[in-house]
Amino acid sequence: MVTRITQLPTLRIDPAQKVVFDYKGKDYAGFKGDTIATALYHNGVKIFGRSLKYHRPRGLYSLDGECSNTCMEVDGIPNVRTENTLLKQGMKVKEQNVKGSAENDMMGFIDKLDFMMPAGFYYRTMHKPAVLWPVAMKQIRKAAGIGTISPDFEMPGRFEQIFPSADVVVIGGGPAGMNAALAAADKGLRVVIMESRPWLGGFFDYRTVDYRDSEYKKNKQLYIRAKELASKVESHSGIRVFKHASVVGTYTNNLVTGFQIGGEKDNFTERYIEIRAKSVVVAAGCIERPLLFENNERPGVMQVGCVHRLARTYGIIAGERAVFSVGHDLGLEAAIDLFDLGMKILCVADVREDGQNPYLMIELAKRNILLLKGWVVSEAHGSKRVKGVTMTTLDGTISRDFECDLVAASAGFTPINGHLTLAHAKLRYDSHTNFFVADTMPERTYSAGRMLGLEDSLSIEVSGMLAGLKAALECKKFYDAGICKTSDGVANSQESINQLSSEIDTVTAKLKELPGTARGSKFVNAPVKGRKSFICFDEDTTIKNIKQAVEMGFDVPELIKRFTSAGTGPGQGGIPGHNLPLYVAKYTAAKNSSSGSHPKPTNVRPPLVPTFISTYAGRKHIMMKRTPMDQMQRADGGVFRKIGVWERARYFSNDFSCKKEIENVRNNVGMLDGSTLGKFRIHGPDALKALQRVYVSDMSKVKAGRIKYSAMCNDDGCVIDDGVVIKLGENDYYFTTSTARAGSTIEWIRYHTRFDGWDFYLVNLTDSMGVINLSGPNARKVLQKVISQDNDASIQDVSNEAFPFSGYREFMIKNTIPVKAMRLGFVGELSYELHVPSSYMVSLWNMVKEAGKEFNIQNFGVEAQNVLRMEKCHIILGQESEQRTNLLDLGLGFLWDRTKKDAKTIGAAALRHAENDPTRFRLVGFKMEDNGRAPNDGALIVDDKVRGYVCTARDSFTLNEAVGMALVESHLAEIGTRLAIFEDECKGELIYGKVVPMPFYDPDGRRMKS
Amino acid sequence: MSLTITCPVCGKRDGYEFRFGGEDKGPRPEEDSLTPQTWCEYVHLNKSVAGVQKEWWVHKDGCGSWFTIYRNTVMNVEVQESEACR
Amino acid sequence: MFGKYKPMWGEKTQLKSSYDVVIIGGGLHSLATAYFLAKEHGITDVAIIEKNYIGFGGAGRNTAIVRANQRTQYNVPLYKEALDLWPVLTKELDYNLMFNNCGNLNLMHSEAAMKAARMTIATAQFHGVESHLIDAKEAKELVPALNISEDITYPIHGAMFHPPGGVVRHDAVVWGLARGAAKHGVEIHQQTEAIAINTSNGKIVSVETSRGSISTNKVLISAGGYSAGLIYKMLGIKLPISVLTIQAMVTQPVKPLLNHVVSSGAYHCYANQTLKGEIATGAHMDHWPNYTTQTTAHYIKHQAEALSEFLPCLRGLRFMRIWAGLADMTPDMAPILDGNDQIEGFYFNCGWGYFGFKSCTASGKYMAQFMADGEAPDMIKPFNLKRYEQHKLMGETAELVSYTPNN
Repeated sequence: MVTRITQLPTLRIDPAQKVVFDYKGKDYAGFKGDTIATALYHNGVKIFGRSLKYHRPRGLYSLDGECSNTCMEVDGIPNVRTENTLLKQGMKVKEQNVKGSAENDMMGFIDKLDFMMPAGFYYRTMHKPAVLWPVAMKQIRKAAGIGTISPDFEMPGRFEQIFPSADVVVIGGGPAGMNAALAAADKGLRVVIMESRPWLGGFFDYRTVDYRDSEYKKNKQLYIRAKELASKVESHSGIRVFKHASVVGTYTNNLVTGFQIGGEKDNFTERYIEIRAKSVVVAAGCIERPLLFENNERPGVMQVGCVHRLARTYGIIAGERAVFSVGHDLGLEAAIDLFDLGMKILCVADVREDGQNPYLMIELAKRNILLLKGWVVSEAHGSKRVKGVTMTTLDGTISRDFECDLVAASAGFTPINGHLTLAHAKLRYDSHTNFFVADTMPERTYSAGRMLGLEDSLSIEVSGMLAGLKAALECKKFYDAGICKTSDGVANSQESINQLSSEIDTVTAKLKELPGTARGSKFVNAPVKGRKSFICFDEDTTIKNIKQAVEMGFDVPELIKRFTSAGTGPGQGGIPGHNLPLYVAKYTAAKNSSSGSHPKPTNVRPPLVPTFISTYAGRKHIMMKRTPMDQMQRADGGVFRKIGVWERARYFSNDFSCKKEIENVRNNVGMLDGSTLGKFRIHGPDALKALQRVYVSDMSKVKAGRIKYSAMCNDDGCVIDDGVVIKLGENDYYFTTSTARAGSTIEWIRYHTRFDGWDFYLVNLTDSMGVINLSGPNARKVLQKVISQDNDASIQDVSNEAFPFSGYREFMIKNTIPVKAMRLGFVGELSYELHVPSSYMVSLWNMVKEAGKEFNIQNFGVEAQNVLRMEKCHIILGQESEQRTNLLDLGLGFLWDRTKKDAKTIGAAALRHAENDPTRFRLVGFKMEDNGRAPNDGALIVDDKVRGYVCTARDSFTLNEAVGMALVESHLAEIGTRLAIFEDECKGELIYGKVVPMPFYDPDGRRMKS
Repeated sequence: MSLTITCPVCGKRDGYEFRFGGEDKGPRPEEDSLTPQTWCEYVHLNKSVAGVQKEWWVHKDGCGSWFTIYRNTVMNVEVQESEACR
Repeated sequence: MFGKYKPMWGEKTQLKSSYDVVIIGGGLHSLATAYFLAKEHGITDVAIIEKNYIGFGGAGRNTAIVRANQRTQYNVPLYKEALDLWPVLTKELDYNLMFNNCGNLNLMHSEAAMKAARMTIATAQFHGVESHLIDAKEAKELVPALNISEDITYPIHGAMFHPPGGVVRHDAVVWGLARGAAKHGVEIHQQTEAIAINTSNGKIVSVETSRGSISTNKVLISAGGYSAGLIYKMLGIKLPISVLTIQAMVTQPVKPLLNHVVSSGAYHCYANQTLKGEIATGAHMDHWPNYTTQTTAHYIKHQAEALSEFLPCLRGLRFMRIWAGLADMTPDMAPILDGNDQIEGFYFNCGWGYFGFKSCTASGKYMAQFMADGEAPDMIKPFNLKRYEQHKLMGETAELVSYTPNN
């Protein structure tokens, strides 16, 4: 148990509130505000897990999730970064990737076998002999992966999503980000600020005095300044603050995505956030660059910031005897502050020979802290945790050993550039800051703060203010250009833009007078002989591995990353992101004895922070359309299926052969909900011209009171749609499309007339009109009954003479319900289609049902319709057609009017080119030989090759035999041709059919037409 | 990436409100003039420009207009006509 | 035990002023073609010209799924041969391509889809490729993580199970083929951009590169997603290709969870577990042409929504990395392998869409034969460019051609 400091003003824990949790089956306690890892560390846990490849012990190293060292299983969820996951009451925490325990892992011996596993060793082993590989692969799979998840795991919690709108998004709630947010919001803009930690403040939050800046020293401590800024930001009406919210993606046109972790009072566990902003300020700060030395990931080695924040934020003094090996002033500052908090510091090695801030030197001297300039840690000792270190001069000539249990090591800083590069900033290596800095910025994006290389506290604040003003100016320009409407309170006069510009000039001048970018620490590779200096902790990639890769011809960092896996683990490049390109540049330069090549950064990819699939998914929404008769059909026992955008009644019993439904249509009368059909009105001076363009038939021949069946083709001549057209008046038509095409018909017609400048209106009536299909020998009697309430005698007459096949009538039922009635015959029986406004559908449905009772009216579903129409050889597009079949192949050539060339009808040219081609498919009808069963849909027609396939085939109850339609090569299309049918799983046993004339049922159409 | 498109009627909107309608190949040719080659060129063949191209879009989840824009296919961003002509 | 570390595909050399064959593009199809040209046909004076580094494009960005259950009779034998070549090449190249023969499960979400699958399965079985239709329960036995309840947008009715398929380590194929080709004398020139192709009297005469001019009379462009644009720019030949950005992503690595490749057309989604333990998943494309390899916020969210439904346990995993590559889509989802026609000595191999990985070995083999003989072998004859003007689309998709790339 480590004792805590409980009285610091910077603490983010509440020592008064205990939080009890379960670690490996035992109860432990931490404090409210602890992360899981800080609570464990407080309880003396030093080894959190074992590494992926070598099973090396791993401990707390960072506090912001830069590596997977502290990944553990929490409440059944693998790979939880315990170092920045807040501790909650009752959590169940387990180690990962261990056999035994993290402390005593039986797989630990693998660490000694590294010589067998050089870079890319698996590509060169285990494949000889071939039988070895499947066995080896199983072992690899078992060894790989950290953490487990059960196949029936159910993610607990509530996941939400929000899409707020904003003028300016500020990424990072540190001093620069807060200043940017305030500057922009003060100009009347709507600002969103995203901060990944649960509080605002950034790296001011845990610092007291910036010793280097006398100005600040005079004023106040940095953490107080942070609190001041935070309260301004949080109380500003123009700023929406998302705390504990990481940005995971930035995209062109200023789209920013992230997620927020819910607090105690929130009604979500996590929520996905997506914001389209007008401009973006990135003030994401820096992370530390790891120092490369032997055993540089041994538990007890920590980032300086980690050691510092453990003390200042969590009240934990991380070690009894500490040594520091740093390369920057903040490392010295941390040592001073930690010394004052009671840490015993044996020495501070600084890789810099000179250039340290004099104020810091004075403070170190005051405290008698041993400072070794030009020194660096070269090796950590101790098998499971640090027991000592060797320090050496940079050239390795002098060395000294120290006994210690804590090594605070940091080579320098590296900016968090991911937010910029994802939005396409181009990076350049800057030799002054030793940072990768953005050379070209994304549009309307500004960066501020430490990531620019600034270290001076006031400079950081002012740079944030400047970025905020620049972002504000861009937004104002946007409003002025009229691209967007002004939101409340935004003055958009030219005057305000001028004012803003001059304000920007003033702040720019002010920033110039403050200290500029700091000189960054150079890349240093401690003089080491050993094999275990890790460049990537997650993947156990050593410097030696990188050398091997370079020797083998991989000279681009991105490729080395692939070959050695460095940076592809759960830490997502946090550890090797900076060191890998630098090391490769240095090594290749040495190898080619060139003066030095420019380091090329590896690619950063979203999500910048690993993000739960449940968080991205947000709340589940299944959105399907339902017809007006949905409830009634469900009440009647309809079995519903999702078909396209609709839920439709496919069956009305669990007999999926639909025998009863089919027989009832053939013998009595059935009703089908046809409301999903596409329904349209086109009118206006050029309506007919538009129809001539899209329909293959001559639409000028549509007669009043009649329906015309026709088809639309695509430019290949393939049928994309079929339906009926009714003339309502001059240049005024009502037409139907298939269900699938309802959503794209207007778009299609507009597309194919886009150059013509024609004047017509198109209205999609699909959802506003419902359709009842009434089919069967008794259909007329039912219809007669339904409309008999009507007064007009001529309308009441629905006899075959008055309302013949292909006829169209309009009438009112009870003087209220307007009906468009069509006499059709898709299922091959006497059949009416009643199109009625959706609001009346329930009434009409009940009336039809009531009227049909005495004729034994029954529902029928989509599958029954499918069989009925197949017996009649009426096609369904997509079932009897596909990409390789055109209008002519389907035998629908009679629909095509070849005289209307001026219409430039879609598909006509292709039909002309292909019409005499003998090698095309033809649609044929077939019966099975010897009264055999129907083949499966999709069975092949074969000889020594595939010659076609079965589209639809059924054992017909009506015909008492098996019939079907098939698309076959034209030489097999002759009546009487024997078709050899190859079904799946037939094991070579073919079945045979014979081509017969179509249709099978009621060939002269008497039932349909009388 | 996150495409935005400027609809002539509705203004600048998220790219997913629109549907792409092909490279601009000019008005529909006369039916009689089409040989299999010129037909194929009009219907199927593309230039696949890596750079700025003029292309058709429809505002499917909006006003339904068909219109052309210039877009840089390398960056997937809409550009001004003036920029395209440079 | 591993000896000295030597460059795998030879030391960097000067570009010569002439080669028998110049191949533009350093991806899998190019490397495979070069390998077979050198090994099978004795044509070793070959230069591969790659603008970036080998495997920069689709070769390094795909999720390495292999299978041979295509839809039509022209495609199945080609993909079958490609599938059969993985173990052969592992041995020949003496490089572990890590073929994980785990089988592929293609989910079906409606009765109609089950029927459509029967045709594909029958076609596979007719050509001696193992593939079966299984019901939802059987699918769940194979993949216990599947959600076969009715309570999802597209309930699972069954699946097409294709045992011979699986996953190969894509980088290994790039490096193995490069090493194999280099051993036989092929020169691989990275960081070298092809700028122009010169012709004279309808014949290829030379290629201009960023490192100088090369005289040659045989050129192959097989530059993946970049092919169509290059071919038009350099030779004015237009192709029925739409280049789309396709995305894929991985979760953090976990112990074995998925033992098969699972894919779903309705959800636009596939998932499989890599040997490292990551769940690799992807499939969606924005339906407009792009040369960008930027990813989208739209898609990673879509993918999460889809996986949440049919593999709900994955909700407890985190996405770690998303990336994008190019897919050059043709209207019939079949490639274009053609050459020595429009221009003598000019060959091209493109239009593979998102099938470029699984086919690369067979494509390389037959393109090499094509280039050696000057005449297309029967296996790839149907994949010519003329088929589009002859209204002979191949039907690898049933989908009708619209004005927009619709796959």
